[in-house]
Amino acid sequence: MARYLLKRLLSAVVTIWVTTIAVVLLIHLVPGDPVKIMFAQSQSTTPEQLETVRHNLGLDRPIYEQYAIYMSRVLHGDFGHTIRGDQPILPLLLGRLPYTLALALSSLLVATVIGLGLGFLAAYKRGTALDSLCMVLAIGGVSVPVFWLGQILILVFAVRLSWFQVAGSDWRSLILPALTLGVTNAAVVARLTRSTMIDIFNQDYIRTAWAKGLPARTVLSRHALRAGLVPIVTILGLQFTYTMGGAVIVENVFSWNGIGRLAVQAIFQRDYPLIQGFILTFACLVALVSLAMDVLYAVLDPRIVHV
Amino acid sequence: MSESFPVEELPAALAPLPPAAALRPGPVRRIGSFLLRNPGGVIGATIVLCLVLSAVLAPIIAPYDPLHMGAGRRLTPPSPAHPFGTDEFGRDLLSRVIYGSRLTLQIGLIAVSISLGTGLLVGLVGGYSGGWVERILMRGTDVLFSFTDTLIALAAVAVLGPSLTNAMIAVGIAAIPYYARVTYGVVLVEKSKPYFDAAVAAGAGHLRIIFVHLLPNVIPPLIVVASLGVSAAVLAAAGLSFLGLGAQPPSPEWGAMLASGRDYFTRASWIMTFPGLAIALSVLGFNLLGDALREALDPRQRRR
Repeated sequence: MARYLLKRLLSAVVTIWVTTIAVVLLIHLVPGDPVKIMFAQSQSTTPEQLETVRHNLGLDRPIYEQYAIYMSRVLHGDFGHTIRGDQPILPLLLGRLPYTLALALSSLLVATVIGLGLGFLAAYKRGTALDSLCMVLAIGGVSVPVFWLGQILILVFAVRLSWFQVAGSDWRSLILPALTLGVTNAAVVARLTRSTMIDIFNQDYIRTAWAKGLPARTVLSRHALRAGLVPIVTILGLQFTYTMGGAVIVENVFSWNGIGRLAVQAIFQRDYPLIQGFILTFACLVALVSLAMDVLYAVLDPRIVHV
Repeated sequence: MSESFPVEELPAALAPLPPAAALRPGPVRRIGSFLLRNPGGVIGATIVLCLVLSAVLAPIIAPYDPLHMGAGRRLTPPSPAHPFGTDEFGRDLLSRVIYGSRLTLQIGLIAVSISLGTGLLVGLVGGYSGGWVERILMRGTDVLFSFTDTLIALAAVAVLGPSLTNAMIAVGIAAIPYYARVTYGVVLVEKSKPYFDAAVAAGAGHLRIIFVHLLPNVIPPLIVVASLGVSAAVLAAAGLSFLGLGAQPPSPEWGAMLASGRDYFTRASWIMTFPGLAIALSVLGFNLLGDALREALDPRQRRR
């Protein structure tokens, strides 16, 4: 167990380490002069000011030195300052992060409830009209663009019916974005849950359980669902990363002040230090969640440790 | 269930067996016959066909120039003259949606070509060569995979700058790990089979082994991944365009049309309805087709 967890921890560390290299290289991959591009939108910058920025970002040094400086700053909790407004980046990102996490987790809840329900039902009633209906809903849900669905929900529930408000920062303005992101993710969860559960329903021990004459409730909950728990936890773990990706778009549809909205603004403004900070934060978060998932996975299914 | 062999079937049983190839239909016929039995596949193929036709015939079937503005007919609701209505600049939405299908197909094809080409190369080389090359390539793929495609696409656009071409490249790069992993998995399986050792022992060269033995086995699963990949690429690129990081106005790209319609959609809902519907339908078409192909080509799925 300890060896397995150590291996997983190491792989998370490697991912984050590679991210730091990628983030430092990022600015050098920009075609043309990144400093000029950063200030392309403001007309009144003098060449001297550009030189100062170049010096402050360390871009006038050799690349390995830049990496060493960036790393030592990051390890001290200093992600640098934004180009626009000269704000410290780490507090800015950390201030926005709870909003993104609230959106991601609440939509994951929506996706789990709807997706597990539909997927389980479809697998149990396999081959019936109900199964087909569930799967039509699921493939429709996978195909609907999340930004379009969000806009439709705004039109119906916020504008026409005025049930919810949009562009706030309290839990009531979270309902629509969470539903939007949750419904599209539910479709993926439903499809994966269905195929997982069909595999399980075909197992011999389930057939034995039915043959023993156990009541349906016992077979489903004690035998089938329990075996399905491990793959389903994995599905949900994978879903978290997709949810984080979808959150970037949904935050922009609903003007929800998370890190995704901040990142898109940063890309528009070519604010490279902020983009670097966002990528690093996002990658760390995803690495930590998948590490947590691996640990949970090992606890739920001890066999995995020995493979 | 008959106890004894029916005498009237004897001549047929004694007749020479047809060649094995005729008994087992090839992949093309298998896909063809499967699609016919799979309503989802038929619907998907029809949608994709309509999309292709609309892209090819756009100048003939579009009633207006997609970029032609008319001050007098701004935001007119759907009518016989403008079946999808007009947008905030008086442009005919039907014509824009039709021309948009060209961009959508282009995005799908280019993005998938980038990810398919690179992923195939990485997976083949990584799986075939083994050793440190394998470790570096596949470890790199794992890291890229854990970055998630959204983050890679955003980073690529941040580097390259917002434009439709860059969005296609970004979406293409973001999907490379999927193709690399699938290819790598197939190569590992094939490498462990006896015929592979036989080919090596017979002195087959690297290129011969890769092109004659490995590639044909990699193609079927990659067709499935690519077909589903088109829908993912279309969705992702439309998302980037919607955020303003992909196609720029006045391009009739569907995601960009949704973005520019945002300010007016409470007054003129058609401005967002039709481009959104177009994206959803195209993505649905490729998803249904991809699902049907997977069932046709994946033996595990066929048995079920």
